Amino acid sequence: METTFAQAWLELNGVGGFPLLTLLTALPLVFAAISLMLPGDQPGAHKALGFAGSIVTFLVSMVVWSRFDTGLGHMQLADDFAWIPGIGARWTMAVDGLSLPLVLLTTFLTPLVFVGAWSAIDKRWKEFTIAMLVLETGMLGSLLAVDLLVFYVFWEIMLVPMYLIIGLWGGKARIYATLKFFIYTMFGSLLMLVGILYLYGKTGGSFSLREFAALHLTDKEQLWLFGAFALAFLIKVPVFPFHTWLPDAHTEAPTPGSVILAGVLLKLGTYGLLRFAIPMFPAAMGTFSPLLLSLAVIGIVFGAMMAYVQTDVKRLVAYSSVSHLGFVMLGIVIYNEEALQGAVLQMVNHGLSTGALFLLVGFLYERRHTREIADFGGIAKRMPVYAAFFVFVTMSSIALPLTNGFVGEFLIFGGSFKEGIHSAMLQPETGIAWRTTVLVGVSIATSGIVLGAIYMLSMVRRVFFGAIGKPENEALHDLTLREKLLMSVLAVMIAWIGLVPGGFLKVSEATVHAMVQPNRPAILQVRSPLDYQREQSRRAPAQAAEEAKAE
Amino acid sequence: MNIASPITLAAVAVMAPLATFLIIGLIAPLRRSGKPAAWVGILGATTSTVAAALLVVDGRSDILIADWLGAGGKFFASIGFQVDGISASMLLVVSLVAWCVQVFSLGYMSDETPAGLGRYYTWHSLFLFSMNGLVMSPNALQLFLCWELVGLASYLLIGFYFRKPSAGRAAVKAFWITKLADIGLGAGLVALYVLTAKASPDGLGSFDWSPQVAQAIGTGGATVVAGLFFVAVMGKSAQFPLHIWLPDAMEGPTPVSALLHAATMVAAGVYLVVRAYPLFQAAPDVLLFMTYLGAWTAIFAAVIATVQTDIKKVLAYSTCSQLGYMVSGLGAGSLFGGYFHLFTHAGFKALLFLGAGALIHAVHSNELTDMGGLWRKMKLSGTAFILGALALAGVPGLAGFFSKDTILEALHASGQTVPWLMLLLAAGLTAFYMTRVVALALFGKPGHHTEHAHEAPASMLIPVLLLAVTAVGAGYMGGPLAKMVGAEYAFHWSMTGIIATSLGLLGIAAGWAIYGARIVTAEQLAVFAPIGNFIRASAVDRSAAWVYRNAMLGLGSGIAWFDRYVVDGVMNLTAWLAMSGGQQLRTFQSGRAGDYVYAVLVGVVLLVAAGLWNA
Repeated sequence: METTFAQAWLELNGVGGFPLLTLLTALPLVFAAISLMLPGDQPGAHKALGFAGSIVTFLVSMVVWSRFDTGLGHMQLADDFAWIPGIGARWTMAVDGLSLPLVLLTTFLTPLVFVGAWSAIDKRWKEFTIAMLVLETGMLGSLLAVDLLVFYVFWEIMLVPMYLIIGLWGGKARIYATLKFFIYTMFGSLLMLVGILYLYGKTGGSFSLREFAALHLTDKEQLWLFGAFALAFLIKVPVFPFHTWLPDAHTEAPTPGSVILAGVLLKLGTYGLLRFAIPMFPAAMGTFSPLLLSLAVIGIVFGAMMAYVQTDVKRLVAYSSVSHLGFVMLGIVIYNEEALQGAVLQMVNHGLSTGALFLLVGFLYERRHTREIADFGGIAKRMPVYAAFFVFVTMSSIALPLTNGFVGEFLIFGGSFKEGIHSAMLQPETGIAWRTTVLVGVSIATSGIVLGAIYMLSMVRRVFFGAIGKPENEALHDLTLREKLLMSVLAVMIAWIGLVPGGFLKVSEATVHAMVQPNRPAILQVRSPLDYQREQSRRAPAQAAEEAKAE
Repeated sequence: MNIASPITLAAVAVMAPLATFLIIGLIAPLRRSGKPAAWVGILGATTSTVAAALLVVDGRSDILIADWLGAGGKFFASIGFQVDGISASMLLVVSLVAWCVQVFSLGYMSDETPAGLGRYYTWHSLFLFSMNGLVMSPNALQLFLCWELVGLASYLLIGFYFRKPSAGRAAVKAFWITKLADIGLGAGLVALYVLTAKASPDGLGSFDWSPQVAQAIGTGGATVVAGLFFVAVMGKSAQFPLHIWLPDAMEGPTPVSALLHAATMVAAGVYLVVRAYPLFQAAPDVLLFMTYLGAWTAIFAAVIATVQTDIKKVLAYSTCSQLGYMVSGLGAGSLFGGYFHLFTHAGFKALLFLGAGALIHAVHSNELTDMGGLWRKMKLSGTAFILGALALAGVPGLAGFFSKDTILEALHASGQTVPWLMLLLAAGLTAFYMTRVVALALFGKPGHHTEHAHEAPASMLIPVLLLAVTAVGAGYMGGPLAKMVGAEYAFHWSMTGIIATSLGLLGIAAGWAIYGARIVTAEQLAVFAPIGNFIRASAVDRSAAWVYRNAMLGLGSGIAWFDRYVVDGVMNLTAWLAMSGGQQLRTFQSGRAGDYVYAVLVGVVLLVAAGLWNA
């Protein structure tokens, strides 16, 4: 299996222009520095600063979007400078259709988190502002870096503010939760560091992703290195059985922490697989595909069943994340264009709908200081607007048509079934093992859709329907104007992606196409050689035509 | 008549309720004002009805398709409108019944708070938009989108009395059971896409249901697709054993039951089969299964209907039963028979529900025992209800007779003797249970509240009387309707018709003898009580509930235990091992220089030894 496929999609375009991406990454840090210099006894100033900083970052990210060429599948708007010449480290940042949606999600969610935090955070605003802005820099840097050392630095930077946010503003068991979160993710990233250093040695002095991906590695090397990288990412996602840190971290984290954790941080796991682990070690991905597929499917059902038996609303939403990210993982493992487009979109969708759900749960918690489902019931009567938003976001979460969730899940399932059905009916003699795995796995995964409807709607019923049982709930007041505006912004995005998904899918289309081009054959070679031959023979004329057209 | 192009009319019929949904839904002051919001909703329904009527009169066919979703430049999903005889006539049925129900609700829901009424009409508008969008679908994908949306509207409307815990539970149950079945539709869509992509030269798939597609994918492919589709049909159109959500759905307001859970939404499953009929025709196995399952559902639900004490529950099981007729007829190869029965059933079942609503409104109870003798108090709505019951019972000349006869003929003609006999028997049972309802509710001993009952107000009476006209007249529309769906129809008496009519009349006579004329005493009737109790206990429903409660919760708790003690336990054990390992290792760092020198010496010796070994 020595055939390698040129990773053309990792070529840098636009080097030497204005360092827009570096600026975007640095902006939150600049505002954090200003916040650091201001005295801590003026929470108002820090609130304003945090919001302003995140809004400016958002606007710059809009500039990035406007300059982004959706027709081009390669890395764009690249910055490439010498960074630490002694060890050959370069400061390389670039954006493509894979990272741009997540960058936009990050810059979109952060201002909302600041607005949501106005009531959720009641102490140490200075520290909170700094932590949140540093976290944003960490997330943006991780998403934009295409040099493994730069990536690793940002990846680790993210950990610290998150640790502080849970540890300082968290709930009762926050120490246990932070420790678990920190050790888990740290453990994963250390193995990744070992992997990076090994590859650094192989290239003879470069941390560049392109050079890493161009290395000729033996199958054994691929397997070990993939293991090291993938473990870090799988813990972050989290994929079963590495998920146990998540419910604890979410339950103890303050609302803004949960929103960022669910909205963006988890996606860095799936993003890392797509950006680094799979392109660098596609053959190993082929070997691990059945295992990863099984874990994804187990995660979907397992997370849903766990969500079903929760008595705490926030824990329920946390476990639903395990289930939903299982769908994203499914799309990634399948690795065809439909499934990948669905996976990329679903990452954004999950960030929006789960972020919105955590905000909503936070609103309720601020009013009643409890999240137990049994403490509520019938509150739709007292909080009709809140109930309306909650039901709407629930519909997005359970992927009802015309909400964003449907588009993503439909594409993932479409791609997955396609992979399975493909020739199962017409050419049953080829590649039966993999196809059976896919068909059985995906069939089980579809139960996640029904389970999703069951646990979410049962929770909605118990919280909102029925008579008001507790006298405390009689005094609940509906959403304030700030909260309404916050939810409206999210609701508009949910409906927009659901109604007109074309524009959003367009962002990742070219990149996914360019990504599948080299990587899918490399994966297929290992996981289903007969499929590989079939696709190659069919692709050859199509590819020739495509190349002819390009010239 | 050339007022507007068919596509424009279709767009108006679909978009008008969307507009009213957005207007009522987003303008909070309007919604909270109640009555004005209701009028906005009714205006939307009126617009749809007029547009649909013009479309039927116009009679032209047309299709509009626009791209909606693309990925990798390939995975194309399009939406649009398909105007033809089937969709135009169905559009008229849906819009007209919706109009009747919305007007009826003005009176029926008059006790509701203004905000509640506004919410009610918001969901009604959402429903009408989704249902009209479903009817006009040019392909299976749009149908699926709207299919899920009508499910949402159903969930919201069943749970309308959200302060009632049972309503909330029924809403969730209806949603998840239909959602479970919808997996079939989703998977069927993907299968359809993949199979058509295989068959087409350019590798592009479609969600089309045309005969060309059926031919391209062959019998094997069509069997997969139609079989998967039919799973969803079983959920939506309440076929055994997925019918269990429908009786519970009666927790919703009665007009909602009339519109969604009798006339239109539950018929969406049947409509899907009608639309995708080329695919079903290419799959004889699926058709055969449908014939038997429909017939079984028809007789099974009819038996249960005979022992219900709640008037809405009787009608709900009757709806399951009648949907069984439609499914069976379609299975026997009669597209027109199934569709014709859908058409007439929508009219008389909506009439029965609205009539029942008028009775319930008068006595504030659903129980047949609380009614009794209401006919004297409510002559007009009582008579309309009786007409509806007779139409359902299959009395010659009324709507149900013609369509039911068409289905029975089709079964007879296709040689399906067993399902044919089951449906004949169900026809007798239908007449029996409807006579029972009429006898108990309208005649006989007056109930507690009968004294205070009075005739329904005009807003309720007008829709009821309008629907009564359809219960009488819809049967005579068979010829024109057949022409619209591309079939031929002319009624003539046959042996099947005579047997069915005799059984129907026998059922009426038996029902009247027992519950009207009381030729058997209550004591004699009590002999059959154990049977009644057994049927009422509804083993299917019980076992489904048991599975849901025990299996789901049990499995969930088991998994939670596993997660807590095994998955997390292993992780905590690892952490503990690492920590205690660290404690052990600490002893090596004693801080005494001597120890370190020893260690260095041992190391050197080991290294030298290793070097020698390798050399």
